[in-house]
Amino acid sequence: MSVRTPKKTREFGPGFFGALASSPFGLLMLFGFVAPLLCVVWFGFMPPKTFELLQVPTLQNYEVIFNQTYFKSILWSLGLAAVTVAILLVICYPLAFALAKIFKGGASFVTYAIATSLFVSENIRLFGWVIGFMKNGVVGGTLAKLLGVQVDSLLYNVPVIILGMVYVYLPFMLFPLTLGVKMVPDQVREAAFDLGANRWQVFKKIDLPLSMPGVLIGSLLVFVLSVGAISEAKILGGQKVVTIASDIESEFTYAQNWPLGSALSTLFIALTAIVVFFALGRFDLEKLLGKKSNE
Amino acid sequence: MDESAAPILEVASVTKRFGKFTAVNDVSFKIRDGEFFTLVGPSGSGKTTLLRILVGMEKPTTGELRLRGEIINDLPPNRRPTCMVFQSLALFPHMTVGKNVEFPLTIRGASESDRRTRAWELLKLLHLDPNRYYDKNVSQCSGGERQRVALARALAYDPEILFFDEPLSALDARLRKMLQKELKDIQRSTKKTFCYVTHSLEEAMVMSDRVAILRAGVIEQIGMPDEIYASPKNAFVAEFMGEVNLLDITALGGASATWDTGRKTVPLALPELPVPLEAGAKRKLLIRPESLRFLAAGEHAGNTVPVKILNEFSLGSRIQYHVEVCPGCTLTVERLREERTAAAAGVLGWELADSQVLES
Ligand SMILES: Nc1ncnc2c1ncn2[C@@H]1O[C@H](COP(=O)(O)OP(=O)(O)OP(=O)(O)O)[C@@H](O)[C@H]1O
Ligand SMILES: [Mg+2]
Repeated sequence: MSVRTPKKTREFGPGFFGALASSPFGLLMLFGFVAPLLCVVWFGFMPPKTFELLQVPTLQNYEVIFNQTYFKSILWSLGLAAVTVAILLVICYPLAFALAKIFKGGASFVTYAIATSLFVSENIRLFGWVIGFMKNGVVGGTLAKLLGVQVDSLLYNVPVIILGMVYVYLPFMLFPLTLGVKMVPDQVREAAFDLGANRWQVFKKIDLPLSMPGVLIGSLLVFVLSVGAISEAKILGGQKVVTIASDIESEFTYAQNWPLGSALSTLFIALTAIVVFFALGRFDLEKLLGKKSNE
Repeated sequence: MDESAAPILEVASVTKRFGKFTAVNDVSFKIRDGEFFTLVGPSGSGKTTLLRILVGMEKPTTGELRLRGEIINDLPPNRRPTCMVFQSLALFPHMTVGKNVEFPLTIRGASESDRRTRAWELLKLLHLDPNRYYDKNVSQCSGGERQRVALARALAYDPEILFFDEPLSALDARLRKMLQKELKDIQRSTKKTFCYVTHSLEEAMVMSDRVAILRAGVIEQIGMPDEIYASPKNAFVAEFMGEVNLLDITALGGASATWDTGRKTVPLALPELPVPLEAGAKRKLLIRPESLRFLAAGEHAGNTVPVKILNEFSLGSRIQYHVEVCPGCTLTVERLREERTAAAAGVLGWELADSQVLES
């Protein structure tokens, strides 16, 4: 067949037009993402506290990183993100199930309500929390007035940081999860139930595996967003916890050490990428979606 | 089927309402142990709703279900010894054929070797070569194969009654016929009670020991297929049984009546009835296409009408005619090919005993 296909039509086949159509996106990715990324990676190998890109590469920055306590902030970031993902999974699964399977009609109202919270800047919402939780703030003041108990500031500790992150990233978990749960056909659940499975077994053997694409996408979104989070720890946590993102920020601004900031960024991006690709590799999305066939 | 067989499932005055709408209306019947029972009715007649009540996925608004005498209204589906094969089959898309079939055994906590042995047995019983299919993904199976997997999975649960909700309706006619026979064979060899739902009476007739005909949530008639065919209770059942002629008649008292064809009225003689109709009573007269025949000159019949032949369709050894009594009023006639010459005369007749008076 292909032998008889005239050359001209092959040159302007669907592949050609596909490439043409996607070229603006390709260019955007190239200049907006790949080029700066390469710059950052390269800058990480420049001598500390310099602003020149054309110097002899050195590993000095990485030595600094490994000899100092930066690993602490990396661990804090990873840990906070992991805990946020875990808590959100537990909170959002039942909620997503209710949205997808029980409310049906009323679900869109809840969806809008939650989506609307995204319209207000994250920082503004967090400062709202500060007013609520600070010493003699809304919560403390109310408790003191009503019950006569004197509570100290509820801010500047790890739980409140996690609470803030859970709150801020909830929509990013809830919506993919809801879509995931919607993908589980009702009759398949009913069939499992009919074949003797109890609620827990239906959840474990049917709901969870079939909604895994939603679970995975939601978890990755929240993980990637919260591992780079900066405001929650800063605004709600004071200086109690320093995340890697705020370390990087201070290297670039306050410390004026761009090469070190770049090296930290590179390391951090690499770590996040490893976690993400590990997760994606463990769960084959295509297979989960049932699209894979050997035909 | 043994007439005296004990009922395994008793449905007593079951009603199901969705808001103001009554989907199943005061239905009572018994399913006997080991029989092939079929519920048949047109779309929207409440078949699926009734079936879902029987397996426990829906609660009846009122009424009782008794399994071997015990009330099971409040037993959830996972604790009932019954199992349903859905129209969509509802196979588990993330599991292989083998794991699908083993599912009920896994839930029961059977050992891996037991599960595997049983799954292989069942796949063989259903003509799926275990070597090829055990590890195959269900998404790679054809419609007929998926059908068999669903049945194997239900059999693995080892239910006392197996329910089917139109499982064959998505398949092509040839495969459907084949699977109907296989289903019947499996029912015989496993001696299980099957309760089948379909909108095709033909399918019901092929497989069932007994048939219940459902209309708008009410059971119109229950009986063996032959019984229902020979004496349908009313015009709805008769029409459901296949292509028949139903004439609108008004009794004139005694054995005579008029047939209202829309354009004119035709006087007719009625068959003998145990209780004669009162004058003015409106009924339907059922005449099967094969009971109508063309009369040659000088031949007599209980009733005769002059007709015009509109169309002829060959059905192989038989020919089906659409004939017109008057504009807008047609009858269907089915005769053997040999009798074709008589048709030309255009006089149609039937014997009184071949017609039945039915309520509409
Ligand atoms: N959950 C429900 N809520 C409201 N009405 C319902 C519900 N389920 C079924 N019905 C109504 O009950 C009637 C019977 O439905 P059912 O699905 O039992 O019909 P069926 O005989 O199975 O039809 P089909 O042959 O098309 O499958 C329909 O009019 C349907 O609209
Ligand atoms: Mg139905």
